[in-house]
Amino acid sequence: MKTTQHTELTFKQGCSEGIPIFVGYFPTAMAFGLICRDLGMRIWEAVLFSMTTFAGSGQFLAVSLIKGGAILAELFISVLLVNLRYSFMGAELNRNLDKNVHGLSRVLLAHGTTDEVFSVAVLHRRMIPKGYLAGLELTAYSGWVSGTGVGFLVGMVLPSELQLAVGVTLYAMFSALFAQELRQKGLRVLLISGFSAVLNSIFIIVCKLPVGWSFVIAMLSASVFGALITKDEEVQP
Amino acid sequence: MNANIPFLVPILLSAVATFIVKAIPYYASFLDKLPPFISKCLRLLPIAALGPLVFPGVILDFPSHWYAGLAGILVAGFIAYRKRGIIFPILLSIVVTYLMLL
Repeated sequence: MKTTQHTELTFKQGCSEGIPIFVGYFPTAMAFGLICRDLGMRIWEAVLFSMTTFAGSGQFLAVSLIKGGAILAELFISVLLVNLRYSFMGAELNRNLDKNVHGLSRVLLAHGTTDEVFSVAVLHRRMIPKGYLAGLELTAYSGWVSGTGVGFLVGMVLPSELQLAVGVTLYAMFSALFAQELRQKGLRVLLISGFSAVLNSIFIIVCKLPVGWSFVIAMLSASVFGALITKDEEVQP
Repeated sequence: MNANIPFLVPILLSAVATFIVKAIPYYASFLDKLPPFISKCLRLLPIAALGPLVFPGVILDFPSHWYAGLAGILVAGFIAYRKRGIIFPILLSIVVTYLMLL
């Protein structure tokens, strides 16, 4: 930690620490752009989606619910729940943030909160100046938004035979996220998401529940199940 | 989604839902006072969401070849478990699903 104690947390430093996040976001956002196109959106709608929501899992969830024919209330509640972790990250960021941040800059900095931005900023373990956080968030944001547009354009040149197979993109993306979580956090990830997968399948195939509500109930039940089988110190935001 | 609703509506709705949860901690402090069990549940939501995001959709979306999507996500999951990165597993999974659908 010696080196980080001496770095000046400036706007420029924030931008440079944001570059790895940019590189990580860009291809994921491309996948998102591709899915939006597959769903019949226009390019400005896909880009606007990324600009206004700026939350990977929330956006992927939203498009999957739109695709599944969920009603708007289901969509709203599901996105709210899956993004709830940002409230905890924001609380931690806010504790460390320069106290003189008000008004519009506060709103924009809140909008820029993501998992990766949170980890990088909070790991400095000291007061976070406004400029630094702005640079970090802006770099991450530009990767996410530009990647969405590029992914959409790539989808336009795809041969038509591949179009049906592209329907697997969303699932492949969640499967890859699952594998990464599994590698980092171990078997309980399989238990919790397996539990919710089985519940959701029963709700939809056997009980014929609407997709959105089925999703919400399966997710909430599995998180309670998960909390029962997980030790306190294993749960990080 | 109802075909008569323009995409703009769900897009803005998801933006509002996300902004609410992102902005709350900057303006209120009750999150620090939640019972530990509740906050533990809330932190596990993203993992709990992964299951229903894949099942049963990945099977129901390919009615003529129910195993095509399944093969695709198994490949994606396997590659992503071995290596970091997300775009390569996804591309490979599209190829596998494409071959299964032929």
